[in-house]
Amino acid sequence: MEELINNLKLQIIDALNLEGMTPEDIGNDDPLFGEGLGLDSIDALELIVILDKFYGIKLANASEGKEVFKSVATIADYVAKHRTK
Amino acid sequence: MGDRRWEGATLGNGWMHRSLIWLLRFIDVRVFYVFSDLFIIPWCVLLRPSRRTAMRFYREAMGYGWWKALWSTYRNHCLFSQVVIDRFAMYAGRHFDVEIVGHDAFKEMAAQEAGFVQLSSHIGNYEMAGYSIVSDRKAICPVVFAGEKASVMAGRSELFAQTNIRMIELTPDMSYLFAIDEALCRGDIVSFPADRFLEGSKVVKVPFFGREASFPQGPFSVATMRGVDVLAVNVMKGGPKQYKIYLTELPYDRSLPRREQIRQLSEAYVAELEKRVREYPLQWFNFFDFWAV
Repeated sequence: MEELINNLKLQIIDALNLEGMTPEDIGNDDPLFGEGLGLDSIDALELIVILDKFYGIKLANASEGKEVFKSVATIADYVAKHRTK
Repeated sequence: MGDRRWEGATLGNGWMHRSLIWLLRFIDVRVFYVFSDLFIIPWCVLLRPSRRTAMRFYREAMGYGWWKALWSTYRNHCLFSQVVIDRFAMYAGRHFDVEIVGHDAFKEMAAQEAGFVQLSSHIGNYEMAGYSIVSDRKAICPVVFAGEKASVMAGRSELFAQTNIRMIELTPDMSYLFAIDEALCRGDIVSFPADRFLEGSKVVKVPFFGREASFPQGPFSVATMRGVDVLAVNVMKGGPKQYKIYLTELPYDRSLPRREQIRQLSEAYVAELEKRVREYPLQWFNFFDFWAV
């Protein structure tokens, strides 16, 4: 799980151009939106694409996305259960 | 510091819109143009704050003298009124002569399996493109502001019901993101305006008319995210019943890092926008301080 979390953080940093950030700067349970990492809706679309491209996961709908994208830990948990690659 | 706020919805209430659509079934658009130019626009130019931003645009961006800028501001408001009337005339079933420049670029992209992105702007009358550039194979999915008036949305829905246009409403939840991604994965066409952004969203800063202006990062991010082709679509008004659609492919190097791709694409879009605005300066319809920090 630790490796998956680290990979996810690297993929998020790369896709969202979070310049100067390292995986250590993102807490596993830090909120990704709002007060946390400050991601916006287009960033959410980047996360949808990361799940599809790297893990073969297609999220079904917006309400599912809201739960999954709470933090890196919730994404990792979802990926571990649903990944197809 | 300037004010970049914009209202995002067509002026007037539902009753006014429905009445206008009904009248336009029987009365030529030119009657409405004359009425609006003589009796409505002068008051709008006198009373609405849009006159200040329009004047500043003609004085500072276009470099016009005071009298030319004032006349251009009046003509600009008249033309804005005319394209709104034209839009309702379309809802009323009226037809316009449309010439398409660069149609081959659209046809080539539409013939591919992959989806692509169309980037529009608030110049001319983009909505006219929806009826003229269509694909047998691909649905066109315009991303539209969810706060638009019900009568306008109803007019669009009625017209679009007979076409393969599927509107994606920009809602506060994430559902529109799923719709955008699904459309691109299906190989459809997603269309965004790329010259306005909602407060708090990320922007890219690009030189425009010699000064740095902010443009929304979202449309450029979405295109580069899936690495799809991008087409600029600008629909400019010619005569009373004539429009010209300019379709221009916007190149970017997909082998570069994402940040560079977004920069290349946004610069190509802005260069095309500036070219069209210089060609049709009276059809610049961003009535707010576009260069505000």
